[in-house]
Amino acid sequence: MGDFLSNLSLGFGVALSLQNLLLAFLGCLVGTLIGVLPGVGPIATIAMLLPITFGFDPTGALIMLAGIYYGAQYGGSTTAILVNIPGEATSVVTALDGHQMARQGRAGVALGIAAIGSFFAGTVATLVIAALGAPLTGLALIFGPTEYFSLMVMGLVFAVVLARGSILKAIAMILVGVLLSTVGLDLETGEERMTFGLAFLSDGIDFAVLAMGIFGIAEIMRNLDHTEHRDVVRQAIGRLLPNREDFRQSYKPVIRGTLIGAILGILPGNGAVLGPFASYTLEKKIAKDPRRFGRGAIEGVAGPESANNAGAQTSFIPLLTLGIPPNAVMALMVGAMTIHGIIPGPQVMTKNPSLFWGMIASMWVGNLMLLVINLPMVGMWVRLLKVPYRMLFPAILMFCSIGIYSINSLPTDVMFIALFGLVGYTLIKLGFEPAPMLLGFVLGKLMEENLRRALILSRGSLSTFIDHPVSAGLLAVAVILLVIALLPSIRKGRDEVFTE
Amino acid sequence: MSASHEGSGVAGRQGAVRAPQGIAGGILLIALAALALWLTRDLDQGTLNAMGPAMLPRWLAVGVGLSGLALIAYGFIRVGEPLERWSLRGPFFIILSILAFAVTIRPFSFGPLALPGLGLVVAGPLGIILGGYATPEARFRELLILSLSLTPFCMLLFGDLLNLPIPVFPQELAGLFPAGWSQKAIMRATASVLIVAGIAVFFATKGSRNKTIDVADHSGRI
Repeated sequence: MGDFLSNLSLGFGVALSLQNLLLAFLGCLVGTLIGVLPGVGPIATIAMLLPITFGFDPTGALIMLAGIYYGAQYGGSTTAILVNIPGEATSVVTALDGHQMARQGRAGVALGIAAIGSFFAGTVATLVIAALGAPLTGLALIFGPTEYFSLMVMGLVFAVVLARGSILKAIAMILVGVLLSTVGLDLETGEERMTFGLAFLSDGIDFAVLAMGIFGIAEIMRNLDHTEHRDVVRQAIGRLLPNREDFRQSYKPVIRGTLIGAILGILPGNGAVLGPFASYTLEKKIAKDPRRFGRGAIEGVAGPESANNAGAQTSFIPLLTLGIPPNAVMALMVGAMTIHGIIPGPQVMTKNPSLFWGMIASMWVGNLMLLVINLPMVGMWVRLLKVPYRMLFPAILMFCSIGIYSINSLPTDVMFIALFGLVGYTLIKLGFEPAPMLLGFVLGKLMEENLRRALILSRGSLSTFIDHPVSAGLLAVAVILLVIALLPSIRKGRDEVFTE
Repeated sequence: MSASHEGSGVAGRQGAVRAPQGIAGGILLIALAALALWLTRDLDQGTLNAMGPAMLPRWLAVGVGLSGLALIAYGFIRVGEPLERWSLRGPFFIILSILAFAVTIRPFSFGPLALPGLGLVVAGPLGIILGGYATPEARFRELLILSLSLTPFCMLLFGDLLNLPIPVFPQELAGLFPAGWSQKAIMRATASVLIVAGIAVFFATKGSRNKTIDVADHSGRI
């Protein structure tokens, strides 16, 4: 307990420095902006803004990027409630009841309870991260290459199981991602692999280029497929603070949503997306009158909103403690860390405690800022919704081009985002989700390294992965998960969760 | 945003092909796997004890190829998604915009083609205007004003505030500025010229806007 408090106070010392406060605020503001605007996801934004953080110290850069991420979760709810378009995948469920509340003139209350629920969830999640950080890191330190490899296999299987759509397609995407990570010089023999003899490919495919192309550029192409149609609620927003009755109805959903979100967020895959769905389903199931759902039930906003914020934050746990990104956004954080010369993993906490705890403390600070950014300034965000997409996307395009150019000053990098954009667009059109591919790409290098090391240690015997008990356990979990996910009856349930 | 908006699926589901999207996806995966196998054909596979550079890519390619085969097989057995309609306008102009930016931002040569580096002052507006035409709703006046305000904003943000190395101005024209001017002073001067030009365009063409105004803008739908 003493450790816990001294760590947190170290963290707050870092997070409350003027520079880091400013960066956290900037991150939250930009994140909210992105979350509010439909058609710009947090992954694309972080990819786009990576170059901007180069000038800061690593702690400041990560604080800002984290702010963008949970800020976007918050901002997405504003759009979901006021326009009935989820600004972000995690606020799909919020649109169901939130928009109905807005039509009844209760938009303010919906926004208010979303913000309060998110803040509560954020606070709890921060404490969970702080409490789990040390023990998990300790566990990770006794892992050898064998266990690490198996852990990453399990992580990827989770990603497959929790991804939307066809499991076969998700597996294919992960394999393609790992395959892409093998492009470039072989670390041990120094031979070129699949570079087409091109010099700029010998260092491998640049992470930022791949991410910006398959998320940023492809996203624009996809959005342009449909003509835009935003239907902003024109009723008054009404008072923001929920009254006693609203609170009575929503405090339990908030607590349940926080718990569900926090647990699902830790799982590899797409925890922050799954949390709100699970919370909504649960609230509907235990409600006295389930028919109210879909017609403006406040529980349908309070629970899922808490769940998505809790999940967004606890998804940092696997990254910070084990060095394994559980989803595409965290994969981008790995990219950001490596660019700043920090190798993500259990060593971060011991070698760089001010970064580790500073980032955790900044999450709570950021959540507090989000309350201020979102509630009183909601009028400004509504006005922002009136910027049409035809003006927005050329600006995003420009930011991507300049951003990617400024990393290495290479025009070829800029051309590659166009290529990967086209690849990403093709994949989406053929029903493939690009997120597992990015995850496979990031984990690919780590996996190959650990696989080689493990096999050298065991003199080439594959049975080493089953002989080590921890590794065997992790692989067993992976196999069981995969089998369960492929069973027809469970598949049906999984599809229902995603289509509701 | 959901994927399928065209309800033309029924016609495509007759005959042997039941999931056109899955089959197309499968073909793509097999092509990718074949490419990877061909690229690694000369590399050493090694042994499990000392893995060669080709081992992992080769086995991954086999995995990708098998997934592709499975997708195709399912495409004949199970009914699935039809192919979506592709619009070519969006991707075409987006790619054109990015390529235009890439070849004009700094000196570029590819075979016999050689372009002088024109810097952000040209690459920015060029990219924005070309990219803007990716949607049929594009209006030239709007895009021109957007490009003349966004480009100086990016100059000041990326170049001035964040100190990222971005060429602003064609090197040949640097002599136009007084010799003592620093790179940043040139950047600021260029940015202000662009802003002034943007404001001038805004007011000069203000009258023409009212004629083409969209009635839908006032109905609450944006």
